[in-house]
Amino acid sequence: MNRKIVSSALFYLAVAAIVLVVLFPFLWMLASSFKTQVDIISWPPKIFFSPTLQNYRKVFGEQDFLKYFLNSTIVGASAVGLSLVLGLPAAYSIARFRQRKLAVFILLARLMPGISFLMPWYIVFSRLDLMDSYTALILSHILIALPIVVWIMSTYFSTIPPEMEESAMVDGATRQYAFWAIILPLSGPGIITATTLSFIFSWNNFMFSQVLSMEKTKTLPIAVYNFLSYAEVDWGGVMAAAVAIMAPAIVLTMIFQKYVVKGLTMGAVKG
Amino acid sequence: MRKLVRKTLVALSSLCIAAGALAQAPAKEIRVLLANHPYGDLLKAAIPEFEGATGIKVNAESLQEGQLTTKLTTEFATNSSSVDVFMTRPLQEGKMFYKNGWYEPLAAYDFSDYPKNVMSVATFGARTYIVPLVTEWQVLYYRKDLLAGAGLKIPASFDELEAAAKKLNSDSVAGFASRGKGAAAVTQLSSYVYNYGGLYLDKGVAVFDSKPAVDAIRFYGKMLGNYGPKGVTSMSWENIMPLFQAGKVALWTDASVFYGQIIDPAKTQVSVDKVGIANFPAGPKTNSPFIVTSWGMAVAKQSKKKDLALKFIDWATSKQLAAKGMQANITMARSSVWEDKAILARINPGLVETRAFAAKNGYPLDRPYMSAVGEARDLIGELVIDSINTKGVSPNLEKMAKERVEKVNELLQDTGEYGK
Repeated sequence: MNRKIVSSALFYLAVAAIVLVVLFPFLWMLASSFKTQVDIISWPPKIFFSPTLQNYRKVFGEQDFLKYFLNSTIVGASAVGLSLVLGLPAAYSIARFRQRKLAVFILLARLMPGISFLMPWYIVFSRLDLMDSYTALILSHILIALPIVVWIMSTYFSTIPPEMEESAMVDGATRQYAFWAIILPLSGPGIITATTLSFIFSWNNFMFSQVLSMEKTKTLPIAVYNFLSYAEVDWGGVMAAAVAIMAPAIVLTMIFQKYVVKGLTMGAVKG
Repeated sequence: MRKLVRKTLVALSSLCIAAGALAQAPAKEIRVLLANHPYGDLLKAAIPEFEGATGIKVNAESLQEGQLTTKLTTEFATNSSSVDVFMTRPLQEGKMFYKNGWYEPLAAYDFSDYPKNVMSVATFGARTYIVPLVTEWQVLYYRKDLLAGAGLKIPASFDELEAAAKKLNSDSVAGFASRGKGAAAVTQLSSYVYNYGGLYLDKGVAVFDSKPAVDAIRFYGKMLGNYGPKGVTSMSWENIMPLFQAGKVALWTDASVFYGQIIDPAKTQVSVDKVGIANFPAGPKTNSPFIVTSWGMAVAKQSKKKDLALKFIDWATSKQLAAKGMQANITMARSSVWEDKAILARINPGLVETRAFAAKNGYPLDRPYMSAVGEARDLIGELVIDSINTKGVSPNLEKMAKERVEKVNELLQDTGEYGK
């Protein structure tokens, strides 16, 4: 009995230690976002301080982060939406017809350094007068989202027994209809995983937005830099902006966490 | 299926064309890229006046300096930029931008109001390409209370600096601080090198393996290694300024641009009356701290609306706006604003005095002035780190310096700048 208590105490101690290490930077950021510049730099660090909302006022008042939020949401949601439209059938085809080379080819787009796409894109988009347009950003972010969708979903689809749609096809359904009516409804967790992950990757993307967006379509990761001035860093503003940016990603992950883990490990054993 | 593909393609391309048509710009409109810099903010706020007076619409965008360079480079390199006017860092990117032909020469601009040494980095050959906006120079920041408590006067030479740092150094307060993070330290090391009688480059040849230069690097390493804050080799101004503001540093050499922030009660824990600013201390050979044009403004060679762009740059670099900048504590490049009594009365005397000294005796460069300045800074930065880690007594420093000099000379040869 005693040993049981000791071992579970040790277990929770270890859990607490790990959680502390993992959460510490986040807690530090959260605390700093409510501090004044003087409190942020003070040493030893102030654990008790009188919180201020000044930093958040800067983020949403002076800086118009709501606009950047909207931009990031439009770009992320559209890119993920289009990636699902293109990627789900592609993943299905890869899973059912064993198009391994195609899958690797799509992955290659993800493996190539993003910066190698930027120059050609810049030329094309500026000739088409698409700079600072949502179209250009969405198209570029599809490059981020599509490979994730294809790879997660093709493993997911391969875990669904082919007999499922075959039996529908025996009854006269086309393959397309069987995919639509049988396979997709069975793939909820996989689709949620792919959506969440690709949305977060798009949400966090810095490089593409940096070059392809300007004032009108600026996304959040670029906007954080508004708080970095020449020879001056507004730490409070940076922290508050970072909290604001992370919040949706954290909420999204918390809601869908169960599915994400399930979707990622599904098919892991079957390979 | 093929029909579907065709339909999708048609829909997508019409979408592109529609979006393109919407983005067509009216004729009297220019695009201006500004830096996240107090002067950029000041311009942004004043732009409506310019628009009202001229009828030219200005699309201004502010970017953090690193982003600004990336964006300009991408746009210009692809030869499809729509930028008309931009803020630029002459020492960091000037040479590369000029060599690539990205600056428009400014033939009609009146440069008589700018100091000679400031203009040297804005001019290439017989032509001038950059209008200097802001200058900064190296100074010594010190804690008045700590110096007085130890019975010391303000260090005026390197020997006095070392003695003071030694006396003031304790477990809770670093006696001395300056940038220690490799490449970032190169600019702040430069005044030490000059005051020892050395240079980074001499007429297009790397010479920082000379005895004076190596002695300077040793001294810098000795000071930071013995009296610097812990972990100084990973510190740039972003790290040292908060330490100074938190009262953890007694003496600090860096650029004048930080003065405003260390005497702003909203940003510092140390009360304002305890903070002082002084001339950079003299070295064994001379006293010639850097005074550099940190920011300038230029017209893009690729601009299709150069007449409008020139109008804008005339306004944006005007004397009136420079006076406004001075009132906002920005150390402007124009000479006349530093002679205007009404303006000077509102500026901290410490800044006025140290600027006068640097403008008279200073050296207009704070880094190896070349296209591949980033790589060269990395190479010199390695020397700084080695020197700090060994507290200035590294037996290899001469050899390392020689190797780095060769590499920098190769970089110079690669771009055809060697010996020029």
